[in-house]
Amino acid sequence: MSDIGDLQSLASSITAVTSPFRNYLTELHGTFQAINDGAVADYIPELALAKPEWFGICVVTKDGQVFDVGDCDQLFTIQSISKAFVFGLALEDHGREYVNSKVSVEPTGEAFNAIVLDEVTNRPYNPMVNAGAIATTDLIKGSSSTERLKRMLDMFRRYTGREHDINVPVFLSEKATGYRNRAMSYLMLNFGMVGDKIDETLDLYFQQCSIMVNARDLAMMSATLANGGINPVTQERAIDERYVQDVISVMLTCGMYDASGEWAYRVGMPAKSGVGGGILAVVPKQLGIGTFSPPLDAKGNSVRGIKVCEALATDFGLHLFNAAKPERELQAWIDGNDTDSW
Amino acid sequence: MPKVVSIHSYRGGTGKSNFTANLATTIALQGNRVGVVDTDVPSPGIHNLFSLEPEHTNKTLNNYLWGETPIEDAAYDVGEKLGVAGDGKLYLVPSSVKADDIARILNEGYDVRLMNDGFRSLVKSLKLDYLFIDTHPGLSKETFLSIAISHVLVLILRPDKQDYQGTAVTVDVARQLKVRKMLLAINKVYSSLNVDALKQKVEETYGETVAGLFPLSEDIVQLASEGVFCVNYPDHPVSQEFRKVAQQIVGD
Repeated sequence: MSDIGDLQSLASSITAVTSPFRNYLTELHGTFQAINDGAVADYIPELALAKPEWFGICVVTKDGQVFDVGDCDQLFTIQSISKAFVFGLALEDHGREYVNSKVSVEPTGEAFNAIVLDEVTNRPYNPMVNAGAIATTDLIKGSSSTERLKRMLDMFRRYTGREHDINVPVFLSEKATGYRNRAMSYLMLNFGMVGDKIDETLDLYFQQCSIMVNARDLAMMSATLANGGINPVTQERAIDERYVQDVISVMLTCGMYDASGEWAYRVGMPAKSGVGGGILAVVPKQLGIGTFSPPLDAKGNSVRGIKVCEALATDFGLHLFNAAKPERELQAWIDGNDTDSW
Repeated sequence: MPKVVSIHSYRGGTGKSNFTANLATTIALQGNRVGVVDTDVPSPGIHNLFSLEPEHTNKTLNNYLWGETPIEDAAYDVGEKLGVAGDGKLYLVPSSVKADDIARILNEGYDVRLMNDGFRSLVKSLKLDYLFIDTHPGLSKETFLSIAISHVLVLILRPDKQDYQGTAVTVDVARQLKVRKMLLAINKVYSSLNVDALKQKVEETYGETVAGLFPLSEDIVQLASEGVFCVNYPDHPVSQEFRKVAQQIVGD
């Protein structure tokens, strides 16, 4: 980067500190920190170690301005959030038609781990339920399991701008207890929806769920989608621009487990959540949101994360289909100087 | 609306702390509620001018930055001794002069956002009209922050080549940070210089207003080290010059 670029980037990080929008997020964080509802996922012991008070909010604009409040450096496993991105990689590897022949894009009212396939086509319902994600994982190209894993990790690096590790204990625990996912894989193999390298594909599936990220990574991934597939900070392309709409639209219809319909109605931001406590929400052409707070509601979505997304959607009119003038104008809040309201 | 005023110089030894102390006191004496934060964490000093002894400051800015105390608890009323009365108030938030504390903060660094949140909290809780930020020389993240939040940035320079160059860099940064108002103050002007020509040249070079010029004089250096000059010698031309600068900060 040139001197000017560095100066601009330092200046941008400083103006983010003094922005009223960061102050708004700080207040939001303070308000929702007090909520003690929900329970930390404990189906494997590693997830149960998460502290219920952990709470981070990060927003990254499509111009690469980063606003973060709270525990945005705390790493956690990405869990189901990876599903949206692996779907994108499968699309790049095989194109829309072929991927759609292996996995549908229809929302399901069933739980995310239901053993259910479309009765007519035998396809899993969508890439966001476990069966669908195993099918898209199966599509990831590579001459060996190592190469397939590397390609996947490299994709996440392009989205976030940094290298990612896999949490090995979480991976091994998921693998050791993943009977249901194994059963689903064999069912899909029976119908020819996945190849016969079941063990390799399942390893890759459990590995993608065990990738360590923080709230800032989620916001950056989301901002990359909002920015048409180009990471707004590194300027590296993370996904072919043709498939950005595929990933985002499936997030809107299926991203929040079986709460997706109500989410689309009330919040109206395409989003994907994970049982590690993360939520990633996209405001196309504007910004990406990443939240992290481990306590989950009955449907498996982070309680505080939901509140943050609801508040942002309402206060700044970020619902996809909002037509009313919002209470607050986003750009003014981002560009302003906080001292004017001291 | 409260105003944030940052006092900065690219190089050390320009008389920044002295200037801050005098300007802040001048404005407090006019009946304003004024706070001064010594963000010169690596080399704090302004507390001396306000006669605030380190043994009487068990809480400092450092404690706030370590999350040990609200920033208001590290604010000391230094105005009373200086004759600030009526509606006027003058508070100082000093930095620690303990070697261990300085080493710790240099080692660990701190979150620059905490500084921003601290300034806001100080302005609100002490109901300040003016917040003065005395900075460490040179450019750093903290300087960037204090420039970005300033309503007025005062850059102090001496009439020499190194200061001219450094000030040009700072002016560039300040413009990048969209600073709202910049004022220049020239200090240590030796008597052989033509004051008007100097002022004109500096204003042309940077395209910013020179708010005041202060002479280099051994007498003043000696008198100034004893405390706040404008309190001790209110009728001295230097004190009048401070009031002139204050007018340009208060006036708009």
